[in-house]
Amino acid sequence: MSMQAAMPIAMIPGNSIIHRINPLAKLVWVVGYVILAFSTQNIVILYSMALFALLLAPIAGVTKPLLKGALILVPVGSSLLALQIIAPAVERPWTAVDQIGPLVLYGDGVYYGFVLLGRIVASLLMALIMVMTTHPSDLFTSFAKLKVPYTLNFMLAMTLQLIPVFQREVGIIMSAQKSRGMKGTGFSAVLPSFVPVFVGAIERVQQLSISLESRGFGSDGIKTSYRQVRGRASDWVVGIVGAVVLITLSVVAITKGTWSLANEITFSPLFVLITFLIAATLFAGVILAAIAFSFKK
Amino acid sequence: MPEPIITFDNVTFTYPGTEEPALRDISFSIMPGEYVAVLGLNGAGKTTMGLCVNGVVPTMLGGDLTGTVTVGGLTVSDYPVREMSKLVGMVFDNPEFQMSQMSAAEEVALGLENAGVAYEDMKRIIPETLELVGLAGFEERSPLGLSGGQQQRLAIAAVLAMAPQILIMDEPTSNLDPIGKQEVFDMAAKLNRDRGMTVIVIEHEVEVMARYADRVIVLDQGRIVMNGTPQEIFSRVDDLAALKLRVPEAAELATILGTDYGLWKGPIPITTEPAVAEISELLGAKNG
Repeated sequence: MSMQAAMPIAMIPGNSIIHRINPLAKLVWVVGYVILAFSTQNIVILYSMALFALLLAPIAGVTKPLLKGALILVPVGSSLLALQIIAPAVERPWTAVDQIGPLVLYGDGVYYGFVLLGRIVASLLMALIMVMTTHPSDLFTSFAKLKVPYTLNFMLAMTLQLIPVFQREVGIIMSAQKSRGMKGTGFSAVLPSFVPVFVGAIERVQQLSISLESRGFGSDGIKTSYRQVRGRASDWVVGIVGAVVLITLSVVAITKGTWSLANEITFSPLFVLITFLIAATLFAGVILAAIAFSFKK
Repeated sequence: MPEPIITFDNVTFTYPGTEEPALRDISFSIMPGEYVAVLGLNGAGKTTMGLCVNGVVPTMLGGDLTGTVTVGGLTVSDYPVREMSKLVGMVFDNPEFQMSQMSAAEEVALGLENAGVAYEDMKRIIPETLELVGLAGFEERSPLGLSGGQQQRLAIAAVLAMAPQILIMDEPTSNLDPIGKQEVFDMAAKLNRDRGMTVIVIEHEVEVMARYADRVIVLDQGRIVMNGTPQEIFSRVDDLAALKLRVPEAAELATILGTDYGLWKGPIPITTEPAVAEISELLGAKNG
């Protein structure tokens, strides 16, 4: 009945400098990253951000799980680039650089494709670094310090807890249905298991609320916290430096339009062709693998 | 004469949306430091009776309650459950449904945090409590990754940490293997003996009840039909059988030997050891 590895992206325990940084300081960086990434179209900035996040991984000792988590970028990134090359999201006229059968390749969208990809890569890597180095409870304790209401905070934490529980419950109910001769795979098999899962969930939640209330949940007095999250001087430095640097860059980017380098950087036709071939092959590979996987089941 | 810690005075309770009362005109009292076992078929009202003590009935679940339940001098229906929780700790039968935290230590800490216990005290109480339930060193483990027995003991620890005067366990061993059951009952007995904690156990395990309990209350269809020492109750093998309830095997054997064969003369034993002693004497007498 045990389940530990149900969540693919979870905290990797450790005691690195990055693990020890206050969760809120890390949160400043993640939010700052997202703001900057979406306020600029400067690929130098975007990929520098991604590189910086990547450099933090070995310090935190999470390189392998980080790269594993980042695999999700393969289908996203390859489809983005391939589509931008055959159908640029910029104004016409487009300049054709090559042709493969019926597909005309344009160079105009390549830059924008890399911008979109860069935004996702940078934000995702930073967010993963944070998730992988922060104990969820510490994060919620920090939220409590920010005066997030106790009940709301508890709901957030509880949701995280319940996801793997429900995943497992769906698994159990589906096995039960399979053993009674119902279809066992695909979406149509998951659907009928929803009713028992939700009924079970309601029962579970009622039992939990009785149990929580029986342990004084919702009392009016002062609450204390078992998890102690410290805010040392170094945490303030990390948080403030992050806020200043990222906000400054965002402001500069916004005042400069988006600080786009689209006119400064041109891609050679060969580069466009190679990029397209790689992206298209990867994307087709992912789709074929997915199809093969679903048939194998 | 000390005051009873729990008093039920003509309590009748009907759940919302049902016709039949779950409890019918129940009156009894429990003295501080008693170890009470509650016995009855499913649906006899055992759990409802437990919920009356910590106030979930009627405060949280609604329904129609007449009569009064007094616990530690407080009329239960006048106080929210969270207030009663300082006095009454209740553990339920499905431990997994009671877990809400990411680690065992935090699970135990929850009640303490709600009660506003200082961090320094929590740092002492939590490992102590985990050790008490045999989960020393499990602080950072995820509650959902524990075995059923470990989860059950963690649920007990989460309640014990709050140092209630009364501990109610509702079928606490339904998920446990025989050794796990033994551990839970031993622990409750220890708390009862060493800390003078009042313990109420709702159980089907008659063998263990016979061994540990000071008193047995038998419920049937919402009524108290028997209330006495284990010796008194479990000697009434035929009455319990009429209620479809099991008795300890020693008592059953002695009763059969007595009524069907006229071999058993003395009092009906309710645990194994006196039965063994008596039977070996019987056999010895026949042989010699």
